[in-house]
Amino acid sequence: MFDPKDIIENIADNVRVTHNPFGLNKEGFNTWWKEVDVPATGDALLFTGLMYQLVPYIKAATGYLEKYEDKPMAKYLKYGKFIPKTVANMGLQKIASQDEKLKTATTLGNMVKILKASDVSFFYDHDLDEYSGVLLYDLGDQEGFENHARFVAKKLQSAGIKKLITVDPHTTYALKVLYPKITGISFEVQTWFEVADLAGKAEHGEITLHDPCFYGRYLEVSDAPRAALNKAGVNCTEINNNGSFTNCCGGPAESVSPKLADEVGLRRVAELQATGKPIVALCPICMVNLEKCGADVVDLSSVLVDAI
Amino acid sequence: MTKISPQFAEDLKQYGEDTALECFNCGTCVAICPLIDGSFPRKLIRYVQIGAKDRILLNRNELWKCLHCGLCSESCPRGADPGGILLSLKRYAVASWRKS
Repeated sequence: MFDPKDIIENIADNVRVTHNPFGLNKEGFNTWWKEVDVPATGDALLFTGLMYQLVPYIKAATGYLEKYEDKPMAKYLKYGKFIPKTVANMGLQKIASQDEKLKTATTLGNMVKILKASDVSFFYDHDLDEYSGVLLYDLGDQEGFENHARFVAKKLQSAGIKKLITVDPHTTYALKVLYPKITGISFEVQTWFEVADLAGKAEHGEITLHDPCFYGRYLEVSDAPRAALNKAGVNCTEINNNGSFTNCCGGPAESVSPKLADEVGLRRVAELQATGKPIVALCPICMVNLEKCGADVVDLSSVLVDAI
Repeated sequence: MTKISPQFAEDLKQYGEDTALECFNCGTCVAICPLIDGSFPRKLIRYVQIGAKDRILLNRNELWKCLHCGLCSESCPRGADPGGILLSLKRYAVASWRKS
């Protein structure tokens, strides 16, 4: 395990300076929309919270963390925040996989296709799309999270945003539950699969859904992806630990202990694989960790998009 | 020797949590926690109840083993919030090292 202090202070510094946990230049990693025909006007802002876009960097960084966990080199991690952000940015851009960046663009592009086919009035503005800061909340840096939340909420409020469509559970929880309490600014927040309305015939007939903890327990929206799947002609083969009693994928431990994340993730993968059906995830963090633990996982958007 | 601060559970409220004294140490949280790790998180909640602040800070890295998945809080028969207590302890630990 890494010293959480080293990890947290690095992430907190990155969020403070660049508004994202990796210290990246947003223009360099939030590029998916350039290849997608996404509406520029509409009622609700598609607010990705940049989580899917960070997947290539999460994977790359985790690979390095795995190498150094519990090794003498781990103690040098605390000096990471002294590396100039431009240098760290260039390094991360170099090690992040191009295939993963394309996968991210495809996943978000599929969500756009589904929303359009569902006649949802929405738009995307890359300038308004920001990281929610939720990792700081999870890690216990409440001060850092609150400062960042105020920055994001005020930015959205100044742009006149009232409605948000979110794409991952962590951002959804932050915007729907935490922001109103902390910033006093509320938005009408719905996930993309709650507003999706596709009646068709998807390619997958039967799947097993991995409920993310934040959708299953904290937000209690586990029925919504099942309803969307059923409407698209897809049945869910259920496992015991689902919905509000879903089991964690292990992903949240990734930054402080990849070993621990693997240990928890392997147990969850065994539960999911027991049905023998394709495994479907609806959270980028779950996706990363379940895949790392050997599961063949697809995103919910890639299943539903077939029904168009 | 461990110094105890009986008012610690009360002090922890400023970091967000006020259910530590509801816990009667039944161990449901330990049984259901995906970590399957000794007496985690019950031991840390007991430390809060008796106010063993030094032990919490001495073992602070353990706090971040918690995945914040919420399964313990969902299952607690006393309506305590073990996950929330650990999150408050993380905030307490972060505030402590930033003060020092």
